[in-house]
Order: sequence, then structure tokens, then C-alpha cells
Amino acid sequence: MTPDAIPRDRLTLWVNGREVSVIADPHDRLSHILRDRLGLTGLKEGCCEGECGACTVLVDDHPVASCLMLGFQAEGVRITTIEGLTQGGGLSGLQQAFLTYGAVQCGFCTPGMVMAAEGHLRANPDGDRAAIRHALAGNICRCTGFALIVDAVESEAERRQADLSNAMEAGA
Amino acid sequence: MGQVGKRLALIDGVEKVTGQMRFAADDAVAGLAHAALLFSPHPHARVLSLDAGKVLAMAGVIGVWWHQTTPQNGYNSAIWLAGQQLLADERMFPAVVRHVGDRVAVVLADTEATARAAIELLEVTYDVLPAILSPEGAQAHTGPTVDADRQPTYLNPVAEVALDHGDVAAAFARASHVSQTHVTTPRSHHCAIETHVCRAWPEANDRIAIHSPCQSVFAVQAVVAQALGIAADRLHVTKSPIGGSFGGKAEPILDPICAFLAMQTGRVVQLQLSRHETFTATRTRSATEGRMRIALAADGRILGRDVVVTVDIGAYCTGGAYLPGSMLQRMVRLYDVPAERYRGRAVYTNTLPTGAFRGYGSPQIHALGEIALDLAARDAGFDPVALRLRNIVGPGAIDPWQGLNLGNARGADCLRRGAKAFGWETRAKLAPGTGRFRRGVGMAAATHINGCFPGDDESTTATLGLQADGGIVLNCALHDLGCGSDTTLAQIAAEVLGLGLQNIRVTPADTDTCTYDLGTRASRMTYIVGEAVRKAALALDQAIRDAAALALNAAAQDLTLLQGCVQSARTRISLADLAAWLVARKTALPSATQTHRATANPGSFAAHFAEVEVDTLTGRVQVTDYLAAHDIGRAINPMLVEGQIHGGIQIGLGYALYEDVAVDPGTGRLRGDSFARYTLANAPEMPPIRTLLVEEAEPTGPFGAKAVGEIATVAVAPALVNAVNAALGTRLTDLPLLPERIILALQN
Ligand code: FES
Ligand code: FES
Repeated sequence: MTPDAIPRDRLTLWVNGREVSVIADPHDRLSHILRDRLGLTGLKEGCCEGECGACTVLVDDHPVASCLMLGFQAEGVRITTIEGLTQGGGLSGLQQAFLTYGAVQCGFCTPGMVMAAEGHLRANPDGDRAAIRHALAGNICRCTGFALIVDAVESEAERRQADLSNAMEAGA
Repeated sequence: MGQVGKRLALIDGVEKVTGQMRFAADDAVAGLAHAALLFSPHPHARVLSLDAGKVLAMAGVIGVWWHQTTPQNGYNSAIWLAGQQLLADERMFPAVVRHVGDRVAVVLADTEATARAAIELLEVTYDVLPAILSPEGAQAHTGPTVDADRQPTYLNPVAEVALDHGDVAAAFARASHVSQTHVTTPRSHHCAIETHVCRAWPEANDRIAIHSPCQSVFAVQAVVAQALGIAADRLHVTKSPIGGSFGGKAEPILDPICAFLAMQTGRVVQLQLSRHETFTATRTRSATEGRMRIALAADGRILGRDVVVTVDIGAYCTGGAYLPGSMLQRMVRLYDVPAERYRGRAVYTNTLPTGAFRGYGSPQIHALGEIALDLAARDAGFDPVALRLRNIVGPGAIDPWQGLNLGNARGADCLRRGAKAFGWETRAKLAPGTGRFRRGVGMAAATHINGCFPGDDESTTATLGLQADGGIVLNCALHDLGCGSDTTLAQIAAEVLGLGLQNIRVTPADTDTCTYDLGTRASRMTYIVGEAVRKAALALDQAIRDAAALALNAAAQDLTLLQGCVQSARTRISLADLAAWLVARKTALPSATQTHRATANPGSFAAHFAEVEVDTLTGRVQVTDYLAAHDIGRAINPMLVEGQIHGGIQIGLGYALYEDVAVDPGTGRLRGDSFARYTLANAPEMPPIRTLLVEEAEPTGPFGAKAVGEIATVAVAPALVNAVNAALGTRLTDLPLLPERIILALQN
């Protein structure tokens, strides 16, 4: 069957806090829809086989390789891409930490790496270094050697912890 | 002020962490056409016929091309300037394919899905020819590499380099200890996370624009012009941001095809490889086998070495002809050895072509030299660090091959300070243990070059100018590969100009607007281009003070640039106001162009120290501690320098332990052809790393700086192999140290 012969259908997604609707093939990968149809090209693809993590997005706060998910499987969930992380135009704390710690070189793995780290921190706020290393095991970076990325994520966990305890003190 | 030595974030970092960086395939373009390639399943075959009937009937297909409908000009994808003499043995689509993954045909279609579906429907007949898949087979396939008509014959060796220095026979006759070691190194793949990609489209005046993640826009221009047989000035090449290269994107592989299709169809054409195709149809590091004999005196002095190396460069010459020489160059710049004999040859096989990969021969020759030296040390009873200290070159040493001064060579400092910080003396004496897990420490020294002198005219032209808005623009043919060279260069300019990084804007390379430059390779950015930028910044500083002198009615020598202003003790003007003042008076804005031509090629040096734990049951190696000491001259940005070292260790660790595309000796196919089948070190595999920078200023480098990009990876594999051999008492010398190899060595 040539690609044109495949039936297409309307797909409604909830991306970065907005509802969007596209016509898609049933076999279209989520990464393809986000990048090529919705123009969210901050999302990168390095393998389309679930091996590199460059395409990582958050699905209801969990990091997912979007090249392994079909668009139609993503209906009814909250999708967050790197574009949805920038708060009010400014950098998120995690993005700032990546910059400050030299966790970025070519930047191609970075959006996926940031999303994987963000997902990990949302579920594991304590910032245990070994846990961070394992959480990033599915994301390949060929430039940085990972340690500076782990440093950045660790520092962001500390910052969030400090924010949290400050907020609790203020509330008390 | 005070920009040099600061740990500043990347100048383009915000774009990168937000995903706003526009990589080559990111811009949405109306009417973008997509190309897909058909690759040969055979290692050697004549392409007899192509039936595209089904494909041409498909909706959305624009066209199909193969060897009968494309230019058949011979070219070499590794040239970096027009007219460079390198065996031109490649064709866009050859009539005889020479490796699995060689290019057979291309389909252009409205969507990538259609192009890829169409490729599957092309019907090709081949006449399969005998193939040479091993360097041993290649050695027998000898003859001249070009015939009387200068046509490539694919006979071996493609290149041979020899050095006879001093009296080697006498050195071996005099030696107290003689050792011989045989080392093989694998074909490793760059694994840049962005796969190979290129875009091209027609421009006015019958020109073609090429937008490519490349290491030199001028190399792209030269290669495409040679392949298409057209004048170079019909090609307008711009460098796109690049998602990693490491040498893998140094050769324009897709660009000739992309430009050809744009020319044929008038469309905006994108050609992007899949991950599998990037493994199987681009380049790898060349595999080598080498034998080194070492003659040691009783006091540990290396009296002589005798070295034979064979480099398997794959199916096309590319830059492989340079490799035996590059390896020799690196070999003779590390130790002061009175007698050396070297025979290096490069041979064709019917396998994927090889090319540049972080170090260009350095990782291979250091694997041989540093593993061989370690085993010699063990046999003769020398401490590996002491033996190296006894022999390493010092400042001002002259290499015996090219006769170059190695500059402020601080390898000994790396060895001494590295060994101390690592606790070498104590740790080297610890027993490896007798249980299932054995511990060992190992180390290696390394050197690498700074630029292409004397092989090339090592010159670069940088222009810095004040813009109407008060910003400073740096124009130079710049290709930041992600290592942060744009940031480093902007820091150099900012330092001289008394500005902050935010005041400097850097423009990427463009063949229409930049002066010729060799591109980002050979560890030349900081040392060569950095010096050009420093000189241009000094000249701009003078030009700005001259202009401000008029505006402020002061003497230029009383003015200094500080924090975005030109000021004297009593008056000041911001650069923005100065620019506005000059524009209003119809006066040219200050700008300065300087050319730096290097006449030196000092060595960068390093010593790496590693601890490993080997599981004798599974053969698995875990690197448990790592220290890298680097002679960097002066770190312009220590954070970026450390980033290079960390990244270099990740690549070197894989080279030692996991990475091999592994050409199947029966079929010529690669076994490691996806991330699932080609193991890379990921975050949990990486050891804790300490870096130690020896900053003893190289007089010929900008602010004393030397290169780090390539040398970062060079010492890693031998340091790890030496650690494993120390832990197990083995003599493992075939890389990578796969678990099965370790188990086999333990059984013997
Ligand atoms: S692109 Fe999805 S994991 Fe590599
Ligand atoms: S920064 Fe280049 S791949 Fe991670």
C-alpha cells in the first residue's frame, strides 16, 4: 500500500496546555506529528527506534520516547514538549542549570535530555545522583560524557528542594 | 574584561536548551521535496539495470536517478579546497558498487514517506563480483592505484609512508629488553545524535544554495563542484547548526546528490539519512592493525622502535591516504626516541569507507604505542609512569619526521601531577584480588597536534566590526560543531575589547561572505582561529579608540574599552552611542580584518589514569575511577575544556570496551548497524571523572591556549586496556575488549 492509500482521520491532542487538532494517518508516530505537523521542532529524532531518547516528551508527567508512540495513542493525555517548558518566555530552572553546568554542547540531545530529567525530577524530587544517572540511561549524548548533565539535574533538584522548604517555612 | 579563563555558558546555549536552535531539517519550507537513497546489498557488484516503472507511476514521486542519469565525474569527498590532489575515486552513483551501503539510486518525492516507500519498489539487477573484506586479502591485491589515464584501479596499497630515523638495528642490538606487541583497533562510528542531512535549493543567477551541517563550507563547495563538474562559484554553501560531528560530517556525503536534485528539479530538496543509514552508508574510523617492537635500555630509556601499521580505509580513498602519515606524525611527537623505523600502509577493502573521527589516526597509533609500552614496562619491571617520564619529550623538542618544534610541551607535568592526584604510586601496588571481581589501574600518555601546519597553508582571516546598534560582529568562516568554539572565540574577542560575551555576535560560515578557511578540524579552532580573532580584536580596539577620540575630543591613547563603553578618566561614550554618532556623521563604523598565518604546530599533551573492575565470570569491565590531566596551555573557558575532556572519555571508553561496527567477514555487512546493536557508554556506565588542567601557556597560542578537542579522546582506550591487563595479568591487545575476548584470555 502506498502512503497515500492509507485512510486518514482527525486526531485531537493536548499539547503544552493547548488542544490541537490534525488530520493524521493511523500509523503516524507521535514524534512525527509533533515535529512535522505541529511545528514543534524543538523535539529531535536521532533514531526513530526508541534507542536514543532525543524525542523524549512528557506524557502526563512521565518521560516517553515519542517515536515509539502512535499519535492516536496520545489522545486524552497531557503532552509536554521542550517548547512547553519555557515559563513565560524565560528559562526553566532545569534549562538554566543545563546552561550553567555546561551540560549542553551541540544541543541535539538536549531537548530530550531536559524532558527526561524533568520527568524524573517530577517523580523523584530528592535528587539522588545514582537515580538520576539511571533515569537518563535511555538518553544518548555523544558530546558531554553525561557527568555535567547529571550535575545540572542534581543542582536543580537541590534548588527545588530549597524552594520547597522555603515555601513551607513561609507558610508555617 | 576578564573574559578569558571564565566558565561562561555557551553563546548559543539558550537556543539549545529551549529547542529554538534551527538545525538543518527544522525549518518548515513550503514545497520541500524529500530524497531517499537505495543502497547496495552487495560488497562488490556491477549495477546492470534499474527498473523504475512502478515507482514513476506512484503519486508524489518526482523522479528517479541512478548511474546512467547522473554525472559520473570522479571526486574525493575529503578534499577541502578545489584542485587538491587526492585520488578521485568516488561517484555519486557508481556503475560498480564497492561496498554494502554504496549508493545505487535516488528517488525524489513530495514526502519522505513516499520517497522511502518508492525505494523499496525499485527493481535492480546486479552482477555480483568477488569482494575483499579483510586487510589481509587486500595486501595481496596489489598494483598501482591509478592507471595510465589516471583512473582509479582500486589496487593496494593506496598510500605508503616510511620513516627511517637513527640506527634502529644498533638500538635493538644494544637493548637490555626487547618486546613486541600486536594491536588491532576496530572501526568505530561517530554516532552524532543528528543523523546526516542536507538541504539544497536553486538560487538566482543559476546558482545552487546548500545548507549543510558541515565542518567546512569550502570543502562542501569544492567536493560538490568536483562531483557535478561545475564551477565552484555556482554553489553558495552555508553552515547550519550541527547536531554533533566528531569528523563524521567532515566529508560532504549527501551534498553532491542534494545539489544535483535541486538543480535538476528546481525544488527545495532535503536528503536525510535514517540512523541505520548513518551507520551503514557514511563513514567510520579506520580499522588498523599494528606491530610495535620496542628496544629498552636498562635505565628505561627507549632506544628504538620498529613499527608496521596497516590501515583498512574501506572502499574509497577519501582522506585515508593521509592516515599512515598522520599516525606517524603523532607517534614521533610523544617520546624522545633516537631510532625509529616506521612502515605504514593504507589499503582498500570492499567495506564502508573510513574517514576523520576525533583524532585522525591518533587514537589508533596511541592504542598501539601506549599498550605496547605498557606491556614492555611490565616485562622489564618498570613502573609505567616512571618509564614514560623517562622518555617523554620536553619543551622545545624537535620531532624527527617533520622537524617541527613541539612548543611548550608539558607532557611530563601531566604525568607527574596526574599520577599524584590519582594516587598512582599507592594504587599501582595494590593487588588485583583473587575473587570474582579484580581491580586494576592503568594509564596512558598522549599527544596531538594544533592545526594543519606544515601540511597546509594554516591561515585564517577574521573580521570584527562595530554595528550600528553598538554590537560587535565576528565574521570568520566559523563551524562550531557543538564544542563551543563560537563561545571560545567570542570570549577571546570580548577579552581584548573589554566587553562581555553578550556584546559579541558570531556569524556561521558562508562561502559568499567569509574568507577561505580550512574549517573545524585538526584541533585548529582555538589555537589558529583564536589567534586570528585576537589579532582582529586588537586592531578593532585601536580603530574604535581612534573613532571615539573624535567623538570625545580626546586622545586615542588615553581611551580604553570597558564594559561596552569607550572611556578616559574624565569622559565616556557607549558603543551604541558611538555607532550612532558615527552613522549620523556619515563616517564608516570601525572594523578590522586580520589574517593569522601559523608557522608552528606545538603539541598538546595528556596523561590519563583509570581504575577498572573486571568481572571474571562475565567478562564485563566497569570503569570505577578516572582522572585526565591535560596540557592545555591556557583554558580560555575551563568549563568547555572540561566538557571536551568528559565527552572525549565517553568516546574513548566505548572505543576500548564496546564500539565496533564489525564488518561481517562473509557478507561485508555491518553487525553494529543501530543503537540497539552498537553499544555506547550511557550515563550509568560512565565513571566519576576528575580533570586536571596544566596551564603553562604556549607562547604561540592566543593567551597561551592550545587545543583539547581531539586529544581528549586519544589516551582513553590504551589507559583502560592497560588497566584491564593490570587487573587480570593478561595481554589483551585487540580492541574493543568485549566480554568474550576477556573470558577467552582468562581461559588461556
Ligand atoms: S528518536 Fe525516539 S528514541 Fe531515538
Ligand atoms: S550535546 Fe551533543 S549529543 Fe548531547
